[in-house]
Amino acid sequence: MNITKSNEGQITILAIEGRLDTTNYNELENVFLEVFTAEKFQVILDLSGLEYVSSSGLRVMLMALKKISAAKGTFVLSNMRDSIHEIFEISGFTTIFKIEKDVNAALKHF
Amino acid sequence: MVTFIHDNNPVSLALQGELNALPKTPGICMFIDIVGSTSEKYKNDVGVWGKKLNNTFNFISFLNDFPDHIVKGIGDEIMLFIPEEELKTKTSLNSCFALLEELYATLDNVKNFPVPDLFLSCKVAMHYCTEVYNITFLEGYNDYYGIDIDLTARLTKKAVENRIVISEIFYQKVLADIEALDTPQHAEVLSKISDKYIEDFKGVPHPTELRIIDV
Repeated sequence: MNITKSNEGQITILAIEGRLDTTNYNELENVFLEVFTAEKFQVILDLSGLEYVSSSGLRVMLMALKKISAAKGTFVLSNMRDSIHEIFEISGFTTIFKIEKDVNAALKHF
Repeated sequence: MVTFIHDNNPVSLALQGELNALPKTPGICMFIDIVGSTSEKYKNDVGVWGKKLNNTFNFISFLNDFPDHIVKGIGDEIMLFIPEEELKTKTSLNSCFALLEELYATLDNVKNFPVPDLFLSCKVAMHYCTEVYNITFLEGYNDYYGIDIDLTARLTKKAVENRIVISEIFYQKVLADIEALDTPQHAEVLSKISDKYIEDFKGVPHPTELRIIDV
């Protein structure tokens, strides 16, 4: 898995590529920790390159959402492939997360 | 591969010999039980409880990784057996540690990030088995027998909603998996594992060592 971090003004964009599962969810957790330590709570996840997410990966996203919500920030997921969107639908999490079709649409939430 | 056991002669020495020569199949046995589904059936119609069961089974994404290893489903309880040799061939869920982490994450997601009225909770028992035989007495079925399968079923007696019960042997395998990792991993689940308990289970002639993980 690769995670690329970029900024659009005060907004942090994290692009994830590959599989997010038990072997590497710690990496995403650490990136979030870095972002939150820098007091940045406006975050977009660009999931165009995400091929698979397991429960462990989903859990990291849910914990990030909890942290960002507590800090009154904004967290948007974007560019999900159909297979990933299906996982979010099955888990009922499409009702919890803000989900947009691309990063440009996600930017409008801020 | 499953061996079909059948002999019409009740005193067959050949069968006894065949059984004694069977190879063992070491692996991980798991029972995943959905909690509260019976009371749900009394409270609601099939449209409501059926939907919750559907959602919960779907939510255990773990099951999609091992569709061929679901040995049986009895109502709201599923038994999985993953032979160790097959587990090693998996990309990510390839160790006792990985299996434990994934199940912990699943239970944690259901408990701590609930979407109201969509899911039911689970309880789980996990054991690393050595005394297991891949045999069936019913032609056309896959099954596993042995004292370690029975022991896993006994472990479920100590499980309650949002709890994973693991045998001490499974725990030791988890520790060995962590030891073998190239980079140290700090998983929350490890801090949730209890001290060792010793329990007597019906039919098991010796005390059983186990640990509990409350999500």
